[in-house]
Amino acid sequence: MPPLKLPIVDAAADGRPWRSLSERAQKPEPSRELSEQAPLETSRRGLLQMLGASAAFATLSGCLKQPAEKILPYTKQPPEVTPGIPSHYASASTLDGYATGILVTSNEGRPTKIDGNPEHPSARGAIGVLEQASLLSLYDPQRAKVFRYQNEPRSLHDFLAAAVANGRALESKQGQGLHFLMEPGSSPLVARLRERILERYPKAKFSSWSAIPLQQIHDGSALAFGSPYETRVDLSKASVVCSLDADLLSALPGTIAPMRQWSDKRVPKGEGADENQMARLYAVEANLTVTGMNADHRLRVKPSHIARFGLALLGRLAKQVPALSQYAPLAQKHELDATQARFADALAKDLVKAGRGALVAVGPRQPPALHAVAHAINSALHSDCASLSKPVLHDLDAGPRALRLLTEQMRAGAVDTLVITAWNPVYGAPFDLNFGKALSQVKTSIYRSLYEDETSVRAGWMLPALHPLEAWGDARAHDGTTTFVQPLINPLYGGMTEVEVLAAFLGEGDRSTYAMLRELWQSKSPKNFDLTWEKWLADGFIQGTATKPEQPQVKHDAVLAAANKLQFADAGFEINIIPDYRIWDGRFANNAWLQELPDPVTKTTWENHARISPTFAAKLGLDNGDLVDLSLRGPSARAPVVIEPGHADDCVTVTLGYGRNGPGEELARGLGFDTSTLRHTDDPWIAGELAVVPTRLSSPIAQTQEHHSMEGRLIAVSTQLKSLQATNAMLEEHRGTPLTYHSPVKYPGHRWGMSIDLSRCTGCNSCMIACQSENNIPVVGKDGVIRSREMHWLRVDRYFLGSETDPGVVFQPLMCVQCESAPCEYVCPVNATVHSDEGLNEMVYNRCVGTRYCSNNCPYKVRRFNFFNYTGNFSETEKMVFNPDVTVRARGVMEKCTYCVQRIERARIRTRVQGREMRDGDIATACQQACPADAIVFGDLNDEDSKVSRRNREERRYDLLHELGTRPRTGYLARVMNPNPELA
Amino acid sequence: MAAEPRYLLDQGPLIAGHHDDGTLNKTLLQFIWNKAGAGWFALMCIGLAGTGLLTVAVTLTIAKGIGEWGNNIPVGWAFGITNFVWWIGIGHAGTLISAILLLLQQKWRTSINRFAEAMTLFAVMQAGLFPVLHTGRPWFAIYWLFPYPSTNKIWPQFKSPLMWDVFAVSTYFITSLLFWYLGLIPDLAALRDSSTSKRKRQIYGVFALGWRGSARHWHHYKIAYLLLAGLATPLVLSVHTIVSWDFAVSILPGWHTTIFPPYFVAGAVFSGFAMVLTLIIPARKFMGLKHVVTARHLDSMAKVLLCTGLIVAYGYLMEHFAAWYSGNEYESHTFFHARPHGQFGWAYYLQMFCNVLTPQIFWFHWARRNIAVLWIGSVIVNIGMWFERFNIIVTSLQQDFIPSNWAQFHPTWVDLSLFFGTCCLFGVLFLLFLKFVPAIALSEVKELRHEIHAEEEHLSPEAGNTPMSELEGAKP
Repeated sequence: MPPLKLPIVDAAADGRPWRSLSERAQKPEPSRELSEQAPLETSRRGLLQMLGASAAFATLSGCLKQPAEKILPYTKQPPEVTPGIPSHYASASTLDGYATGILVTSNEGRPTKIDGNPEHPSARGAIGVLEQASLLSLYDPQRAKVFRYQNEPRSLHDFLAAAVANGRALESKQGQGLHFLMEPGSSPLVARLRERILERYPKAKFSSWSAIPLQQIHDGSALAFGSPYETRVDLSKASVVCSLDADLLSALPGTIAPMRQWSDKRVPKGEGADENQMARLYAVEANLTVTGMNADHRLRVKPSHIARFGLALLGRLAKQVPALSQYAPLAQKHELDATQARFADALAKDLVKAGRGALVAVGPRQPPALHAVAHAINSALHSDCASLSKPVLHDLDAGPRALRLLTEQMRAGAVDTLVITAWNPVYGAPFDLNFGKALSQVKTSIYRSLYEDETSVRAGWMLPALHPLEAWGDARAHDGTTTFVQPLINPLYGGMTEVEVLAAFLGEGDRSTYAMLRELWQSKSPKNFDLTWEKWLADGFIQGTATKPEQPQVKHDAVLAAANKLQFADAGFEINIIPDYRIWDGRFANNAWLQELPDPVTKTTWENHARISPTFAAKLGLDNGDLVDLSLRGPSARAPVVIEPGHADDCVTVTLGYGRNGPGEELARGLGFDTSTLRHTDDPWIAGELAVVPTRLSSPIAQTQEHHSMEGRLIAVSTQLKSLQATNAMLEEHRGTPLTYHSPVKYPGHRWGMSIDLSRCTGCNSCMIACQSENNIPVVGKDGVIRSREMHWLRVDRYFLGSETDPGVVFQPLMCVQCESAPCEYVCPVNATVHSDEGLNEMVYNRCVGTRYCSNNCPYKVRRFNFFNYTGNFSETEKMVFNPDVTVRARGVMEKCTYCVQRIERARIRTRVQGREMRDGDIATACQQACPADAIVFGDLNDEDSKVSRRNREERRYDLLHELGTRPRTGYLARVMNPNPELA
Repeated sequence: MAAEPRYLLDQGPLIAGHHDDGTLNKTLLQFIWNKAGAGWFALMCIGLAGTGLLTVAVTLTIAKGIGEWGNNIPVGWAFGITNFVWWIGIGHAGTLISAILLLLQQKWRTSINRFAEAMTLFAVMQAGLFPVLHTGRPWFAIYWLFPYPSTNKIWPQFKSPLMWDVFAVSTYFITSLLFWYLGLIPDLAALRDSSTSKRKRQIYGVFALGWRGSARHWHHYKIAYLLLAGLATPLVLSVHTIVSWDFAVSILPGWHTTIFPPYFVAGAVFSGFAMVLTLIIPARKFMGLKHVVTARHLDSMAKVLLCTGLIVAYGYLMEHFAAWYSGNEYESHTFFHARPHGQFGWAYYLQMFCNVLTPQIFWFHWARRNIAVLWIGSVIVNIGMWFERFNIIVTSLQQDFIPSNWAQFHPTWVDLSLFFGTCCLFGVLFLLFLKFVPAIALSEVKELRHEIHAEEEHLSPEAGNTPMSELEGAKP
């Protein structure tokens, strides 16, 4: 009898379990590996569409599922996620090898905010711009999503198989020709893997590359001490600081902790101030930096002359400090002009007077000899502000020198397999290396990146990288503290960590980073590991792992020899290349928050410029926005001019990171100009013989602030320590309740208020990004900024004081000041902006019809209008970045700072559940939380002891536009400068 | 005429030549009964094309948002509100001529009042577009500004001048419409009676509301007209006063000025009369109305222009004086830096030239009597008044208290299209008005003719030679 053809028999043959006939009739579910393999015969557009759809589904899984690997909440460990209650996890953000401790807020499994880890020594709760904005990159739909080989889609398994095969072939040659070009790193796990790779492939080579290398710092300390050291700056003990192109107050990674220390030194008296004398800051630089803008004295010199000034300073110190006496000839050798000499004399005297409180800091762009000189000075003055410790980076030589060696080998055919985890060397490498061409010659090249960029199109294998918020890892902080990177979300698109790429060469590509990380740390601390591990993860770092300070001796002969070797030929116009404050070396170029964040100096957005001094501009007949052709031993770059008061003459400053044309980074493409054609390996930062050719063309500049003078008005008050009394007396009539015939409104409960200390604020912009992230603030694009429609609720105004060539600079963060008698409220015809019983000026988005009358009548112009539907076309992933506590505003609606009312309400709920009154410190606004300088304080003005009340009672306090009678709740504290009387 | 001796107090006749009611009927209605000429059609085509552009601009504004305009922060208001104030200002002449001059018994108003009233209505229609369009969410603004009892118990903000605008402008429009229509009824009846076809007779008959011209009708009509005139008179002052409060009530330097209400009202009458002149000079030529809109009328209007121009100039002077005398640094910046030396410095000087210097020419009799000078002068004043509003609104906003706020303003093509488009729509409505409704208040002109005739009879030794037919035939 023939077998009955029952379905069940077929199914058994198929081998698939089934629950119903309809399920059986369906095609089998593709496996996870297959789903990563996109169909081959699709257009790029079609592929991206499909990827978008799959990303949306990945999003869903991300929303519903916590990562399977156990991570621990930072503060309290809830039994499970309570919908609506965000949890906080400690993690780390790494840049150029160093970790910054961060605290990530997660709403139902999606990270929505990055703050500083309050316990971590690198930040102490504050945070910079780049770390915060990296959140947006996580959800960027333009991220690389597909594994590719020669631009054809492949799967992870294809890569692993290829890596195994390749590894086997290499193993037979002992790894000859295997080269890893790594991101500068300090990760102990990567270090372990590197050791293991070298065991398996003894002839393999590792090097690191960064377009912003710290190599000259290490070379300098090696010069001074015989072996490389890192300087850890401690400004809490500083009284006189000299910055030679060192940007200590910029809120860039590594400066957060010194900024807090510094801000306490810059307050004359009162809240949080150091009882000692105010510290003083001297800056010597070519372009205006955040640090230079905060300096009591700033000397502008051509970029190459900064080092010369340093030598002259050393020569002057030699006469006063016996330990430096052998440097005395330097003073004669490097003669300075009258202004510079006067500056150097006063500075030398002040440094000697400060003794242990003195610090000479040198920027990473300066030649090694200058770093060595600074070490000599700091050590001779027994400075307490700079301690030395062994570097934590794997490769100290991460600059053009190492890359040139590698490129030469690549050209010579000595590199068989090149694994690149460094960020985009084809774009960032100096022009003369022609790294891109050399890369095409390598037989097997593997590149891991967050985006499909300039390097990925030339590399054989393109591996999508995991975003740090999707990955496990570890790294060392600037002080050496071991810090852990924890994932907050399942990978949105799939991808690999750097660790996994290395593991693939050990045949362990299928092992998870988590497993390897845990194994490593278990091997280091086997006792009671589970508990220790949980504590480490909850803290985000291991207590007490900072590198120990050492006291090596300065080799003065070597320093002198190096100093004598420095040549200062006057080589015409100079190019001065600097990292971009927002997009760094270009790795954040696809980040819209950062693109729209105004540069703290020029207040420009969305592109880079040729920054020149007013004198130089007049000499060349240039105005803002005029296009010039810049060239230096290579093709020219066309750049729009921005005139920067305080810039040195006869030189042009350009920032890195623009002129991108990678296939993936659609947002970044076409913005600004590429500076790499101006960069050469011999000096990637500063070079002479620049050709500047004006064209007759011009282009509009997207600037958020068009007028830079205060017009003599009392807006951002800046005074000097010696005239503080007079200023305080003058401010008397600019604070308090103005005369009015209205009976005062009573606020019996809370009376929210804010205080902003201009003496502490350095203008670093950290608050702006914090506000943008917290309050779902959209970006408007370059055209929107040109039309003055930027949406930032909080802006940092920057005014120049005094002369155009050598201006003083004062910053003023300005957001809605929550007037008690608000001009915006009575003009709104529909009652859309009203006052709360706690004194907040509230904006009712639903009621707003968008007459913009409130903005017209706002004397502070802090209201923002949705001219278009700025959030309407967000993809599903982009929507995940929104803070669920804050309404996403519609088109045609006015919006503005709310004093983070959602945080006030959260605190109210929390304290009510706890059955207590709200106390000072229960609420921190986003800007306050991020501020590295502790300049912003928020709290209850009815509480006499609250920090904000105490600050408001200070004599430096004034109300902005007090004479209008708006009675703002935000008070400002006048900035106090501490200039040297000798230089006055 | 030129040969006749001119006397100091002789301002020329209000009705030129000798007419009877029949010839007046014929001459004043001929434009309606004759076929429209090529000129009318050509202008209509231009007007409709511009209205099409307006439709595109309005659609784009509503579909995409205010971002299509050049507005920004700090310049929250720009072309939209400038156009609004300009059109509302133009709309002032109508009521002034109809109501105030009626109450003051100025005889020369009769030939131009219908014309001015129609202009008022159409101008207010254009003006009414902008407050709705300039909002971010017009679909809500169109009714949330009205105080209707809603279940969510949210009322409008009665302290806001924009709220008052809603009442002021809508009241003004309704009153003007009633006033215009009431005055039109006897003329519509005249049209009905002289209709050439049954259909026309029916249509005009419906609109004539059964007017038969009985003494009883005239009695009620006169009372109603006078009452409406009394009602409309305060509106002449109130509407632009309230519009000026949009600015004066704010705290912005350049807006926050107590002189604004009278200065705006004078400016409105100034621009309104200028617009009447701009329109009536070609109309009287091409529609054959020279006998009822005489040099005397134009002369009187030029004098009003001169007078209100002087008030406006005084307003400018006082603004600047107050800015200087107050010692307020923000005020003085606005008046002595932002306006003359800012991005729109040229507009400031243009405004001064147009509104202060140009009207001075009307001190001269020859200028008031020269049609070309009058027309060009009126056009210049119209331009000047637009720029006055533009300067008040935009340059005050551009540079206010905190210098970091300051920004440039660049209008977009949508801004320009909206302005041009409303001008065209206004033109279309006006052309329709000229074609289908008597542009001259026929019944009033007839009445005037009788009065003049009676006066002449009284004064002239040759009295009594008026034809009998004319005396009895006071047909409507």
